[in-house]
Amino acid sequence: MSFDIPGSRRQFLNHFGMGLGGMALADLMSTPAAANVGDAGDRKSLPENAALAALHHAPRAKRVIYLFQAGAPSQMDLLDHKPLLNELHGTQLPDEVRGGQRLTGMSGNQSSLPLVGSPFQFAQHGQSGAWMSELLPHTAKIADELCIVKSMYTEAINHGPGVTFLQSGSQLPGRPSMGAWLSYGLGAENENLPAFVVLLTKNKGGQPLAARLWGSGFLPSEHQGVRFRSAGDPVLYLRNPAGVKAPGRRRMLDAMNELHQLKLESESDPYVEARIAQHELAFRMQMSIPDVTDISGESQATLDSYGPDVGENGTFASNCLLARRLAERGVRFIQLYHQGWDQHGGLPKQLPVQCKETDQPASALVRDLKARGMLDETLVVWGGEFGRTNYCQGTLTANNFGRDHHPRCFTMWMAGGGVRPGVSYGETDEYGYNVVADPVHVHDFQATLLHLLGIDHERLTYRYQGRQFRLTDVHGQLIQPILA
Amino acid sequence: MHKTGFHHDKNNAGSQQPIAFLLSLLVGIAWASAAVAEEADLIRFNEQIRPILSENCFECHGPDPESRAADLRLDQLENAVDYGAIVPGQPDESVLVERILSDDIDMVMPPEESHKTLNEHQKHLLTEWIRQGANYQLHWSFEPIPADRDESRTVDNFIDETLREKSLTPSPSASPERWLRRVTLDLTGLPPTLAEIDAFLTDDSTEAKAKVVDRLLASTAYGERMAAEWLDVARYSDTYGYQVDRDRFVWPWRDWVIDAFNRNLPYDEFIIEQLAGDLLPDATEDQILATTFNRLHPQKVEGGSVEEEFRVEYVIDRAQTASTAFMGLTFECARCHDHKFDPLTQKEFFQLNAFFANINEAGLYSFHTNSIPTPTLRLPTDDQREQLAGARQAVADAEAKHSAAVNAIDIETTSAGNNLSSQLSFLSTASQNFDEEAAKKLPGERVDGVRGSAARLSGDAGVSVGPADFRRWQPFSVSLWLQTPDVKDRAVVFHHSLGWTDAASRGYQLLIEDGKLSASLIHYWPGNAISIRTHTDVPIGQWQHVVITYDGSSRAAGLQMFIDGKLAECEIVEDSLTKEITAGKQHNITIGERTRDRGFTDGLVDEFEVYDRRLTSAEVALRFQHESLECLESPDAISELPGRHRREFLAAYADESCRESLAQLAAAREKRDVLLDSIDEIMVMRELPEPRDTYVLGRGVYDQHQERVSPATPAVLPAMADDEPRNRLGLAHWLTNPDHPLTARVAVNRYWQLLFGRGLVVTTEDFGNQGSPPSHPALLDWLARGFIDSGWDVKELLKTLVLSKAYQRDSVATGDARQTDPENIWLARGPAAPLTAEMIRDSALANSGLMVGKVGGPPARPYELAVAFKPVKPDKGAGLYRRSLYTYWKRTSPAPVMLVLDASMRDVCRVRRERTSSPLQAMVLLNGPQYVEAAQGAASEVLQDVGGDADEDRQVERLFQLLTSRLPTEREKTILTSLYQDQQQMFAADRKAVDEYLQMGEFEPGDRLDKVDVATLSIVAQAIMNLDDCLIKR
Repeated sequence: MSFDIPGSRRQFLNHFGMGLGGMALADLMSTPAAANVGDAGDRKSLPENAALAALHHAPRAKRVIYLFQAGAPSQMDLLDHKPLLNELHGTQLPDEVRGGQRLTGMSGNQSSLPLVGSPFQFAQHGQSGAWMSELLPHTAKIADELCIVKSMYTEAINHGPGVTFLQSGSQLPGRPSMGAWLSYGLGAENENLPAFVVLLTKNKGGQPLAARLWGSGFLPSEHQGVRFRSAGDPVLYLRNPAGVKAPGRRRMLDAMNELHQLKLESESDPYVEARIAQHELAFRMQMSIPDVTDISGESQATLDSYGPDVGENGTFASNCLLARRLAERGVRFIQLYHQGWDQHGGLPKQLPVQCKETDQPASALVRDLKARGMLDETLVVWGGEFGRTNYCQGTLTANNFGRDHHPRCFTMWMAGGGVRPGVSYGETDEYGYNVVADPVHVHDFQATLLHLLGIDHERLTYRYQGRQFRLTDVHGQLIQPILA
Repeated sequence: MHKTGFHHDKNNAGSQQPIAFLLSLLVGIAWASAAVAEEADLIRFNEQIRPILSENCFECHGPDPESRAADLRLDQLENAVDYGAIVPGQPDESVLVERILSDDIDMVMPPEESHKTLNEHQKHLLTEWIRQGANYQLHWSFEPIPADRDESRTVDNFIDETLREKSLTPSPSASPERWLRRVTLDLTGLPPTLAEIDAFLTDDSTEAKAKVVDRLLASTAYGERMAAEWLDVARYSDTYGYQVDRDRFVWPWRDWVIDAFNRNLPYDEFIIEQLAGDLLPDATEDQILATTFNRLHPQKVEGGSVEEEFRVEYVIDRAQTASTAFMGLTFECARCHDHKFDPLTQKEFFQLNAFFANINEAGLYSFHTNSIPTPTLRLPTDDQREQLAGARQAVADAEAKHSAAVNAIDIETTSAGNNLSSQLSFLSTASQNFDEEAAKKLPGERVDGVRGSAARLSGDAGVSVGPADFRRWQPFSVSLWLQTPDVKDRAVVFHHSLGWTDAASRGYQLLIEDGKLSASLIHYWPGNAISIRTHTDVPIGQWQHVVITYDGSSRAAGLQMFIDGKLAECEIVEDSLTKEITAGKQHNITIGERTRDRGFTDGLVDEFEVYDRRLTSAEVALRFQHESLECLESPDAISELPGRHRREFLAAYADESCRESLAQLAAAREKRDVLLDSIDEIMVMRELPEPRDTYVLGRGVYDQHQERVSPATPAVLPAMADDEPRNRLGLAHWLTNPDHPLTARVAVNRYWQLLFGRGLVVTTEDFGNQGSPPSHPALLDWLARGFIDSGWDVKELLKTLVLSKAYQRDSVATGDARQTDPENIWLARGPAAPLTAEMIRDSALANSGLMVGKVGGPPARPYELAVAFKPVKPDKGAGLYRRSLYTYWKRTSPAPVMLVLDASMRDVCRVRRERTSSPLQAMVLLNGPQYVEAAQGAASEVLQDVGGDADEDRQVERLFQLLTSRLPTEREKTILTSLYQDQQQMFAADRKAVDEYLQMGEFEPGDRLDKVDVATLSIVAQAIMNLDDCLIKR
């Protein structure tokens, strides 16, 4: 069934640029004040609903797929090879290495802090010669696509503040998330889909997540991430109620439209106009969303590449594939969460399981995007909220150990979207404890991510409580060397 | 020419008013000559100049010295003149003008890297302003609210005056139905009933509207409506928030708020009781309950978090919430540095914090138990209250009786030997001497001990001894030898608990703290415990014998420490134990270690013994000498005891009446304590006797202590009276002083916003330099002063506003009003605004006949919680149909439909909701079970009302009126009747669809109604419920 938008309605929609994200009603009442006028004058690259009048410079990426590994994956067991730890296995962390770093309450009162070498084998991969652990055989195959940042550091020492910091630039709740900032600044590319979609791996335990991680903070709520559910309606109450079929719903919407048009005859009212648009878009969304979540058209080869879990809704593999489909349809920010990386104990057993769930799908996603010519304009990010300690939390035994939270260094990788492929950036010391070259603070990472999308992080701002807020607070520096 | 009505003539910026003159002295500013003041286009600093300076200059040349460039500040004339930036009257001499007009990229201000630019008009204004003498004013909201209020004026005087100035024509009054719907929604959050509409339309009296308003203000729904708004301000949530986000018990506070509005508690008392009810003389339970307001911030439990970091965060949240809610200040901007725009320093921010820091609280709540974070208030039922009084009296009686019995013992004649109970055992109930073969496998090292072997502890692995479960009404004792190798800041010698901060230390424990021994029985550390600490340090490298005895009294005086056989002098650190000290399945004592706590690293422990009774001093002395207590079975040994010790011993073991009275005392304590354990508690404020040290925190970071500060209010505002206490009560009195320039203005502005959809000051949350100036400053002041003079009467204020002509006007924009005043700033037309999430759902419920109107009580769980991010099983029955302010609020997973409809997340204080339109809203309202079911309910109501055989015209008309509070026009009726007919055909041809459709939710239409009729009319109801009429307040 097609639904034609009358000319005036179309104009209206275009005028307000109302996509599925919606609009702030205050904007209806007056001409929306552009947040910032860009220099590039590249207005046509942005939809009408973007707060930015124009991008600040030519963008390298149009969208982001962020594979958030919640709980903090152990960098020295995966991507930051530290053979010295194997030599010093079981000996105490020297005080001069720790340098007074504040520890969490979990291992902070331990009487001893024995170093732990990784039990996993490392090898170099690709032309770039990136060191990777045996737990990441599929990621190893895309080594030359990756920009591996080993010198990430943060300020938070616990999960709640840590994840909130990476997603919103502040450790405390209340600020908009990165996706909300982008929805606000760049608008929705496809008005039939939200600008910011969130996908969670189902049935994962571990440190809990919170809806604020994709919340809009003080930005209008239209910018909050829309979480697609793995069971039932992908979007809240997407389907008609039982017993209401498409023709019936269409008939009802037509009557409502008639009544609203009647109102407009006597008075042009922005609320009424917004309501009409809202109903029309909702009706279209009822078709566009099932279309994006239906993977029946994917080739067997594609499905196989994502691994055996891909057929089951809500797995990381299925979400990676869905992320590609959303990216194809112009969703700006696709946020995946995969929990369960918090190995305070039992690391040798648990870490391989985590990797088995994520290694192949993440690798397949990058290759799939590349094969479709989308990798250039899609930034893929993989990483957690902080690192893990080089020393053991709890008792170090022959077969078991754990690692505590470590804010001073951790590793992330990025691919596509204008970052340099096949490089490793930043260095940690031989103990894997401190950054010794090219540190990248969380705000630097955020500034760089915005830069890749054509945004100067200092100029994507929102006025709230008398102050211009931004994702990077009053910090953040562009990490120039990792740009392609 | 430029007169915009910002100033009522007697407040004209340029005139030499006594108040203005005084202010000019206060801030050290020069005023223009009278001649200049009379010029028609005098530039007004507050409206025209300050916003430019604030936006473009203050960040580097403002109040914050840290970020100040070139040592120039432009927020004060004196400094700007000294610097040469401003030469009053001479723009050509002023560096400011030179720099803003410069073409040189290195010279021009604001500089390029600031991304700020001045337009030509702004440059002109600044230049002219300096030419006119560079008059500064105190920021408008810090100026006093004029005391001489013109009682002859009305709200409409002010509004109409501005309309005349702007040549705007006011709209006619809204239709009676429209006004009734508007005012009913605004004051109760519900639509009018059909009966209420009929009654109003047939009331011809001149007081008809006033009667309606009085009726609405007297309904309990009024308090619910006002409370719903206050929940956002108070960041109310039924869970703790942050990451783990457990449920918490705070809804009695919400009910206090509803009640406070319904009994029209004056707004000043509303503030005083919430901020400082506990400090009022003879505070009632209700007044203490009000202070839960200060504890509604998110609270943390995530393992391994730093306790102090979050305690500091809580205090900051309280100060920030009070600043935003009552003063409209963005004081939190001064957390890391002086405020960049407003005259508020970082020191002042932490001085404000100091008011809120003085409670005995922990920065983490208990993970392993469900203890309520201290301080708390018990909320007994009437029954419990009565029982508790009786149980306490019984304990007091039993104590007196026992004490009398002890004193009655004749220690010379009472012979112990014959009277010693044959069942009595002097043996310990659990022990570990580290000498047995099996002890070799215990954690730690075996070394030479006091006798045989002792344990050297690693600090990371503990030794378990037990069982040692004791309730707080049970006496017990622990005896041990210990030796520390060094001065311990903190070391766990032994404990019986589920954890340290993870369990708020619930249990009992012996620690070394700052080198001293500290013994405690704890329900929740620090506010509900007894704890004593020795005066002297534990000697290093020396064995010491330590005995802890406890008498079951729940009092610090009942807890004693003996060192080397002698009673140790101790200070009482805590004496507030009122709840259980046991939890979970922890039966044993652990020596030398506790999870995530600091163990007794390299400490030695030997001869560890647990007794299920309070050891007498005679027994303690014996154990110190390694003597077996069984020797006390010999009468000779007893007669050799010194008198005091002999009485104590005889009372405990020999004298029958003492033994009986002791048993009675224990039973009375048990009864009281079990009762206390069963009584609900809620978090409140209770001031510590001694203020807690509060510091300026460098960059706002919790452990960066700088200067120590005491409670004080910011210098820019009127000083606190000398005779006010420097605590929360003093602060609350200061806030509600009739001379406070902000409190009343902020309050009336919020209530204006509640009714008119936008405040007179649009930035409800910011009355500072960066906030927007008031559209009608004189009206705001007139209302604020009137509000104060009325005794802060909220109902009277609201009544005045809703009976104003401005409020009663039709909201339709006539002529080109939409173009000339799109945001309706000047109020030529009546207010129109989207219904809040609560109003939309509550209207649907009310019209459906399904609403359960109970006021207050535990949170309700409607359908939508089943599809929340963290799904919660919905209630059955009543809980599905309560008003939305009762909907269970979980911070990490808020009610999803309310969130889509722009409800606040309630993580932090919010005084304004940003409203949006998104297709997700259409989805939830068209397809969500609550709304589909409500439509079916409304349809059934109408069918029952008009009769199933009434024609569809009549059905549709009545339904339309029920849902929109007005009759449909003929054309509207035609469209809906046509929808009805088409829909009826569809359903008549598809009975299965009818059944499926009507199965939504728990609601069952009555048997007497035809199902096709119900389903058909329900679809029509859904259509109407999603119309502008139902979703926008007009």
